[in-house]
Amino acid sequence: MMPNSESVLSLQGVTLTANLGGQSVSALRDLNFSLARGRVLGVVGESGAGKSMLARLISGLLPPGFDVTSGAMRFVGRDLLAIPTRQRRELLGRQIAFIPQEPLTALNPLWTIADTFNEHLTRLGVPSSQRLDTALRFLESVQLATPAQMLRRYPHQLSGGQCQRVLIAMAFASEPALLIADEPTTALDVVTQTRVMSMLAEQQRQHATAVVLITHDLRLAAHVCDDVAVMYAGDLVEYGPARDVLDTPRHPYTRALKYATPDLTGPRRRLPVLKQQMPGLSALADLPGCRFAPRCPSADAACSHALQHRVAPNGHRVSCSAACEHGADTAELQAALPPPTPVDDASPVAELREASLTYYTRSGLFGQHKTGFDAVKPFSLKVYPGEFVGIVGESGSGKTSVARLLMGIEQPTEGRVLIAGADVTHGTPKQVRRAREQVQIIFQDPQSALNPRRSVERLLTQALEAAGLPAVDAAERRKRALALQSDVGLPADCLTRFPTQLSGGQKQRVNIGRALCAAPALIVADEIVSGLDVSVQAQILNLLLELGREHQIALLLISHDLSVVRYLCSRVLVMRRGEVVEQGPTEEVFSNPKHPYTRTLIEAVPSDDARIAWPPVAAGEARAA
Amino acid sequence: MVDKSSSLPASLPTLSSAATGAAGALARPAPKRGRRLRSLNLWLGAAIVLGVALCAIFAPWLAPHDPLDQDLLHMLSPPAWMAGGDIAFPLGTDSLGRDVLSRLLYGSRIALTVAVVAALGAGVFGSLLAIVAGYFGGWVDRAISYLVDLWMSFPPVVLSLVLMVSLGVGIENVILSIVLVDWTRFCRVVRAEVMVVRQRDYVLAAQLMNFSHLRIMLREILPAALPLMITLFSLEMGVAITVEALLSFIGLSVPANVTAWGVMIADARISMHESMSGLLFPVLAIVITVLGCNLLGDGLRVALDPRMRTKGN
Amino acid sequence: MLRLIVTVLSRRLVSAIPTLLMLSLVVFVVLRLIPADPLAMMLPPNATPADAAVLRHQLGFDRPIIAQFGIWLLNALHGDLGMSIGFQQPVTALIASTLPATLELCLAALVVSLLISVPGGVLAYAVTDRRGEFPVGLTVVLMQSVPSFLWALLLIAVLGVYLPILPFAGRVGDGVPMPHLTGFLLIDFLLKGEWGDWLGAVRHLVLPSLALAFGFAPLVIRVLRSSLLDQRGEAYVAVARLRGVSESRILWRHMLKNAALPALTMIGVQFGFLLGGALLVEMIFSFPGIGNLMIQAVRNNDLVLIQGIAIVFCVLMLLINAIVDTLYVILNPRLRKPS
Repeated sequence: MMPNSESVLSLQGVTLTANLGGQSVSALRDLNFSLARGRVLGVVGESGAGKSMLARLISGLLPPGFDVTSGAMRFVGRDLLAIPTRQRRELLGRQIAFIPQEPLTALNPLWTIADTFNEHLTRLGVPSSQRLDTALRFLESVQLATPAQMLRRYPHQLSGGQCQRVLIAMAFASEPALLIADEPTTALDVVTQTRVMSMLAEQQRQHATAVVLITHDLRLAAHVCDDVAVMYAGDLVEYGPARDVLDTPRHPYTRALKYATPDLTGPRRRLPVLKQQMPGLSALADLPGCRFAPRCPSADAACSHALQHRVAPNGHRVSCSAACEHGADTAELQAALPPPTPVDDASPVAELREASLTYYTRSGLFGQHKTGFDAVKPFSLKVYPGEFVGIVGESGSGKTSVARLLMGIEQPTEGRVLIAGADVTHGTPKQVRRAREQVQIIFQDPQSALNPRRSVERLLTQALEAAGLPAVDAAERRKRALALQSDVGLPADCLTRFPTQLSGGQKQRVNIGRALCAAPALIVADEIVSGLDVSVQAQILNLLLELGREHQIALLLISHDLSVVRYLCSRVLVMRRGEVVEQGPTEEVFSNPKHPYTRTLIEAVPSDDARIAWPPVAAGEARAA
Repeated sequence: MVDKSSSLPASLPTLSSAATGAAGALARPAPKRGRRLRSLNLWLGAAIVLGVALCAIFAPWLAPHDPLDQDLLHMLSPPAWMAGGDIAFPLGTDSLGRDVLSRLLYGSRIALTVAVVAALGAGVFGSLLAIVAGYFGGWVDRAISYLVDLWMSFPPVVLSLVLMVSLGVGIENVILSIVLVDWTRFCRVVRAEVMVVRQRDYVLAAQLMNFSHLRIMLREILPAALPLMITLFSLEMGVAITVEALLSFIGLSVPANVTAWGVMIADARISMHESMSGLLFPVLAIVITVLGCNLLGDGLRVALDPRMRTKGN
Repeated sequence: MLRLIVTVLSRRLVSAIPTLLMLSLVVFVVLRLIPADPLAMMLPPNATPADAAVLRHQLGFDRPIIAQFGIWLLNALHGDLGMSIGFQQPVTALIASTLPATLELCLAALVVSLLISVPGGVLAYAVTDRRGEFPVGLTVVLMQSVPSFLWALLLIAVLGVYLPILPFAGRVGDGVPMPHLTGFLLIDFLLKGEWGDWLGAVRHLVLPSLALAFGFAPLVIRVLRSSLLDQRGEAYVAVARLRGVSESRILWRHMLKNAALPALTMIGVQFGFLLGGALLVEMIFSFPGIGNLMIQAVRNNDLVLIQGIAIVFCVLMLLINAIVDTLYVILNPRLRKPS
């Protein structure tokens, strides 16, 4: 902690209390850190950790019922908590700027970029004669090609990356002393992410702005930030120089966070599993001591009573009494189960032969113009029994369309679809039905995939109700449900609950269980872990590996996340704009990519190795058209 | 097509959602005041509707006189608490000496009968078509939507009048005419909801499990649309009462020997200068009953579907 | 922009024509199902069945329905909507003389509605989750529970009879000559420079347009409140707040414009209520518009007149829809400029 006159933002012992129906709960507890001019602080944590609450705290836009009950917060020497609200609002957009998470919806859809910029510059006091030039100047500085044209456009005419650049331009237009960026690139494509991130870093260097970068990605923070603060359930559990926190994490949670994401390179190690999940606000009242204790592998009785702060040997501030003892941690890591390979080389369980999918739209006064969009160009794929295959690509690459072709949700414009050797392209309903019994799908959004009015038991065994099957009585159904429940690792009392009472990870398990019920030969999994917290993601990934080994099911995994694909799949296909640019055994493709696009995708992932620069240098030179 | 922005956890409390105060994983507690007063709507509305229903059911026992009884000695007498009033006629009499209170009570029978039956008819018919249209899509949806759009190109009152002209006078025809006009409103609103549910992955999952269309519509779609249908039913009752009053005001609804609020208003209007109360009481009756239906509808909407808690549409 | 307006408007109007044809057919058929015999009114009491048959043939009632419709359509395209049985005048002339009154009334009511409902909607939104929410909400629901014909009676009772400050019958006072220029009194009297009569026309317009407006405004208030609440949760509002834009500016400059779009659609859909309300309101105020004409036609079972007026109402609705659609395209850049 540096009680430095150069400090832009400093928090000392700040506690934010929430009033929940009469009960007082500390949403943020005893925060201490200081941010100097020109430095970047990464605030890392999963959802519910309190990182956005921290941003609310700084901006002064707290929800009703939340108050700061202790501590001091200073911004360039001024006590933020003491000054009146109006003065605090004056700081926003001027000395304190924000960059939001979802750029496409962050701009008024009925205003042109020029209108929005105009409003902002007016607020900053730029005289009307200079506004146009100022706007153009800032748009150029964020590497937007044709800034003059950009000004005349509406937000829906811009891409996500372009919108974010506009927002960054507006943020820096006031030369703020402090910039708070809340997951600024999470909603963007992986390649755009690297470009925007490097541009943001460039701006930060130029203006010497202090930045608080909020993210869920520990590796990203380690590469881009100077210091990192790890948050868990409202506590600041570890704080130190960014590189060090990633290399030698001291707090058990930080360690779990680091190892819960599979590596893209190096040995494949088993993802350690953290049971349960982060406590929500209402559960915090019952956790007076360390809030991580219920999940911590090395917790003792003292941990639950009081939170301990230590300074670890490497200079990190850690909120853990056991921090100092656990130095070497590699011993705990085992090698992971290998990704399943085909059990039978002969007959594929599912096959696409030169299948293509084209969407047609009609335009013109009477709909006479027909434009085609090739979602999937002629494409061949064979999935053998028991193997895990991955398809990676960004949005718009066609990977989801491939899944839909296999499932029979879409009919191919050309080519054929074969399930278990039988041609089901444009097949009869009976053929289609039989095929569907062999191939099941796990949907991405568990919220939308589970009927909120059905109990877990009925959801798991839904396949038993299908037409054409002999009726199953209640006892038999129960037995099946119990078997599935233990297969997917759901707690014993889950059967009678409803989806709204389950956590995200539990919902996804129900999803998987439902797919298993029909004993399919192939499961298609479309981005099934991308909505989950990293620690929960690890649970699901391990579960899939076990299921693959036990039941010898084939899995087709669609994902944009290369590390997940590397962990699960023995074979991978890389797709771009409807075609496969590269395919082969996973290890080979990822360690030795041949196609430049594959290389770009791999480079876009921040690695564990501190020596490999991220964002990649080349990204900074690309201009956004 | 899956795109990155939809791959975020639904509950990631971003800064943007923070500044709006929207609920996130760290959800702020719903304001107590809001919750309490929204359920007030429900109870108040239910109480009013129940009260009117009781009046209608027990009218023969509650009414002090026969509603058609003319007492020529007491024409246009004011309510009992005003000068010249008589306790035998608590709310006064109309221009033919008929007791206003008794007529109000018997009028509620017509009002509620029309309300319940017409709303039910319009609701069932409209919702059925809506579910079929929303589920199947394609030409079925286009055909039904075209029909709805066509039907809604009439101002409702004009259509009711035209139908009444061709069907003839009478309560059954009033009900039929309301059903034929208002089914479109049910259809349009419920269809929108059905289309939202239709997009849910669990419907797709059920289809992939080879369930029959009928089963999916009954098991997956109908329960999801039911809260909205119940809300609309309540609101439709209010509309039906208004339309009946309107039609009986013009004289197209009930025959002369039946008591309806609209008829009372038409009669009282002529003698408005002498007796304002004769006009005000049936007006109040209609307003309060419709108010009850509206409050009940609003309260049900909130109670049955927590998603809509902050909206008032 | 002008070209866009013309394109959209003409496209909507063109696609409305088949709808209009269908609607005319529907009205035609529905009215032929009438149980009462339309001829009965036109014949003297001592008519024989032979006389009835002659009249029937004369009026073409003995031809098949499609042929009757064809004849009617052909005449309609030439501007001849038939002869009113009850008034013994051409339907087209009757409509022409009464339509302007209704249009004037509805326009006035729409303007008053908007004047009430825009601030009303913003108020209803602003008190959400605050102390004033219940009273304001209750007031709006109460207003909504009173149909416009009851508003008409209440307004007459209070402002016409109890406190006789405003007139409640007709468009002008007794003995005032009608100018017969455009049919819109507010314009005609101005053109003739008759200030006194102009003021009289305005005074006669107050109560009926208030009655209609009070029936329509709560619907707009509710939809405006609801769309504002939707906008409140949008990301651009939060981001603007984080840029330091003031709350009032966010509400009036950012949110309201966005909220206006769904409100506009709703107004278009609900416009039928306004037109429908005009029927009873005109009857109650003895206002000489086509609504009043329709009521009389219905009372007389005057099929030809009913048909003509019903079609005119349909034309009005389709016209309003076309205008609303066009406005929507103008206001919504997502429709004007695709991504």
